[in-house]
Amino acid sequence: MVDLSSIKADEVLDCKGLSCPMPMLKTKKALQKLQSGQILEVWSTDPGSKNDIPGMCKKEGHEFLGFIDEAGYTRYFIKKK
Amino acid sequence: MSLGETLKEWYRVIFKENYSPVVGGILLALLVILLEMWYRPWGIVGGLRNWGEWVLYGVGLLEEAPPHPLWFSSSVLDIGLLFGAFISACLAQEFGIRIPPKLEVIKAIVAGILMGVGSALARGCNIGGFYMAIANLSAGGIAMMLGLMVGVFIGVKYLLWEIEHFTSQGGKEISVKKISPILGIIALIALLWGAYDYFNSEKDEGALLGGALLLTAGIGFVMHRTRFCLVNAFREPFLSGEATMAKGAALSLFLAMFGVMLIKMAGMRDAMTYVEPSFFLGSLIGGIIFGAAMVVAGGCGSGSLWRVAEGQVKLWIVVIFFALTNAILRYYMDNVWEVWDKGWLGTQVYLPDVFGYAGTFLILSFVIFLWYVFVDWNEKTEKFVIGF
Repeated sequence: MVDLSSIKADEVLDCKGLSCPMPMLKTKKALQKLQSGQILEVWSTDPGSKNDIPGMCKKEGHEFLGFIDEAGYTRYFIKKK
Repeated sequence: MSLGETLKEWYRVIFKENYSPVVGGILLALLVILLEMWYRPWGIVGGLRNWGEWVLYGVGLLEEAPPHPLWFSSSVLDIGLLFGAFISACLAQEFGIRIPPKLEVIKAIVAGILMGVGSALARGCNIGGFYMAIANLSAGGIAMMLGLMVGVFIGVKYLLWEIEHFTSQGGKEISVKKISPILGIIALIALLWGAYDYFNSEKDEGALLGGALLLTAGIGFVMHRTRFCLVNAFREPFLSGEATMAKGAALSLFLAMFGVMLIKMAGMRDAMTYVEPSFFLGSLIGGIIFGAAMVVAGGCGSGSLWRVAEGQVKLWIVVIFFALTNAILRYYMDNVWEVWDKGWLGTQVYLPDVFGYAGTFLILSFVIFLWYVFVDWNEKTEKFVIGF
């Protein structure tokens, strides 16, 4: 198990305040711009992201590393395939 | 495992975890059938229009006062849904005021207005005009389903264009996680109190409204726990190919149709209930407009409401413009232009009048089955996926 709080993301995507499906779409788009093995950190406030983002990773083959609940938003960590 | 632990586990499964679309879809159909047995078909827009009319009356645009929102059944259905979804969001600690970036606010206003227009033409949103229309064996439901598919395709095209050309950041959330379970319990008490008042009221429809309030609260709760979303059901087959929600929705629609058909065959509800004079032009065009707009809004009729209860400010804006536009347009269409009397947007077609009950059941089952098979096949082959 990776210690998520020690991860240094290559790119941070701010999706705070956005509702479905925007966080998922933006995450997918941001992942396209990364190199294989790089890590994307997504900030989202939509409760739906807790299903959508891991689901999308599974479908696309990216590695979903996990999430951390902060005050007022959630941080998601994804490693590009 | 001790009894305490078992109860805790059940609490987590019922109040915290998301239900699968299949479980949510079955529960939704069950509640919808019970509501129609108890009192009347489920709907969304009628209540929103009532609230919109009160605003119009307040600013002096309407001469006569609309029906009281607490004694107008369509409005009570929406109040129940909001209560149920709010209770669900609070108990799961998912309630929070989410303030969207500027671009989302503009999208919400435009989409809200178009949803008002689409639902006026189709005489219902995707619930009254599609889901419940098909359940009530109205031909308009199928016309709107086709319209929604075309509209959603257009909406998805727009989203893909937007994602290439715009970035919007700067939203935030005002979190109330710590106190939200308390808010949920207060709301639950208020809901039960309200229902108690209805049941003990001296008015004739008191008990009917009390039951409807509780049943729609159940609908709101189940929809929020499932994040049951007909936008997702129509959109994802085009956007990613994913079909889990679409399959849950198809199953739910089939069950609701079967149940409501039995209610109508037994004569418990008038055959023409929810068979609207919008077949096929109104339902089709309304469906296209509503379908495109609901993708941009990020919520359909019911989905917008449960997201309102979850604290999504974007959907608050959507619902306000949706309600006002629908109220204004329907005022002109019904009273000034007399669109329905003139039959410009179609006629009422009750499918059993044409095909009999057995024929109708077979046709609707086939349409729903076709939808299921299509999204399942598309999930595997991605033939209709236009997303990146």
